[in-house]
Amino acid sequence: MLRELYFALYAIKKNIASSAELRTSFLMNVIGMTINNTAFIFLWIFFVQSVGVINGWTGADIVGLQGFSALAYGIVFSVAMGIRKLPDYVASGSFDRFMLSPKNILLRVATSAFSASAVGDVIFGIICLVIYAVLLHAGFLQILLGTLLVLCAAIIFLACTVIVFSTSFYFVDAHNVSNGLFEIFFTPALFHGGAFQGITRFVYTFLIPSLLIGALPVEIMRDTSLAGMFLVLFLTLFWLFVAVIVFNKAVRRYESSNFMTFGN
Amino acid sequence: MKRIRFARKIITTLLRDRTQYRGRLFVDTASLIARCGVLLVLYYYVFQLKGGEVNDTPFILVAWSMLFYFIFMTFRLRDIARSIMQDVQSGIVEILFSKPISYIAYKIWWQIGSGVYSFLVAAIVGSVALMSIVGIPDTMATVLFIPTLLSVLIGGTVLTLLIYIIVGLLAFWIEEVNPVFWIVDKAVMILGGSYLPIALFPDLMYKFALYSPFGASQFITHTVYESWQNNWYVLAGIQYVWILGLAVVMVIMFAYARKKVSVNGG
Repeated sequence: MLRELYFALYAIKKNIASSAELRTSFLMNVIGMTINNTAFIFLWIFFVQSVGVINGWTGADIVGLQGFSALAYGIVFSVAMGIRKLPDYVASGSFDRFMLSPKNILLRVATSAFSASAVGDVIFGIICLVIYAVLLHAGFLQILLGTLLVLCAAIIFLACTVIVFSTSFYFVDAHNVSNGLFEIFFTPALFHGGAFQGITRFVYTFLIPSLLIGALPVEIMRDTSLAGMFLVLFLTLFWLFVAVIVFNKAVRRYESSNFMTFGN
Repeated sequence: MKRIRFARKIITTLLRDRTQYRGRLFVDTASLIARCGVLLVLYYYVFQLKGGEVNDTPFILVAWSMLFYFIFMTFRLRDIARSIMQDVQSGIVEILFSKPISYIAYKIWWQIGSGVYSFLVAAIVGSVALMSIVGIPDTMATVLFIPTLLSVLIGGTVLTLLIYIIVGLLAFWIEEVNPVFWIVDKAVMILGGSYLPIALFPDLMYKFALYSPFGASQFITHTVYESWQNNWYVLAGIQYVWILGLAVVMVIMFAYARKKVSVNGG
């Protein structure tokens, strides 16, 4: 297991080094994504200004929500962008090279690509969470909870991305299908958390875990809710377990399309 | 005549192709539900909490306005920027330049053909669903509504294509166009009234939405509000001024871009 992780770290390091070689492109992606993300903050803050506080959610909570979501997204896609390329790997037959590798297939696929723009998400997420902690006058326990929640959000995001992109093995037109499913999962994670109540809150917490990426972490950190933290921890382990099972099952459906792309 | 035949050929071929991919249609419908559907449920809840009206606007107007935005999104016209960028980065643009067709016209018809099937299905399914859930507001029952809606739909389509073609053409000069694309895309999203309906915009933002090309490309979202009855011709005028202006910019940019390409054959 340690060897596998060591290899994954090595692959991530190489991906970052290779991407950083194209400095202008790398920097433009990072800065562009950071600016791009601020759009959501403006949107929801205007929303809060227009409709007022909804279920205790203020403008500060929106900053926290965007921080958690962006950081989870950024962490996952800056180290595991390969998952998102799964539909292309399967359709082109270049998935063969992962099958032939003696390393863990999921780790090998995940760390096969890197997204420079995701680094912009990480920077944006960190800035937002620091601002949120300041606005919240966060104590030590809240900061500790926040750090743990970022980790949980990233793991849940990774797990759901693996599940969604595993559909590449089931559909012919997998690129669109998996990207559409990804939107179904991720888009509500960026919405105002206070507006999810009743059945929508249940659906987007337990069936489609979008609220576990941003809205629930914000509420847990704000209210210093240990019960909420344990729920998120439990759901994190559950979704990670499901993701590994779904991926391993989906891989069995793969058939090589005889493209000569070994070693690419 | 030749040009019309060319456009018809591309659109009908792509229409036939798209009807074969049910997965894509499923995805477009699912995306519409995920984004618009969930957003409408949330707004319904918020409007209930606020006693049925926010900024003197009832939920029914906001719902239709947002639906129009998301239906227009399923047309996927913005993908033309990435398509041009890929052509430039992969070198395919060389091959297309050497063909006896207009590159820009080819890209435009291709984009329209790719999205029109999903757009029509989303428009019919979305409208019928919303009609049966919230009904039709009085503003949509006027004689003026359908002709002006069609007018801004056509204008919005042309303006959206122009905006994103210009972004795509930047690939001839800039190594990485994606950051520009994201920023323009978010400007269209915010000023178009996607997640925040235009009725809830603060004054300054509303002015930006009216007078910028990003907001003008989504004037379809204004058609359901009462103010549309009185000022539709002003908005249509703003839209057509932007179309003219950006068309000139696009033609000049394309002329310069062509000079930057050297076709090596092979």
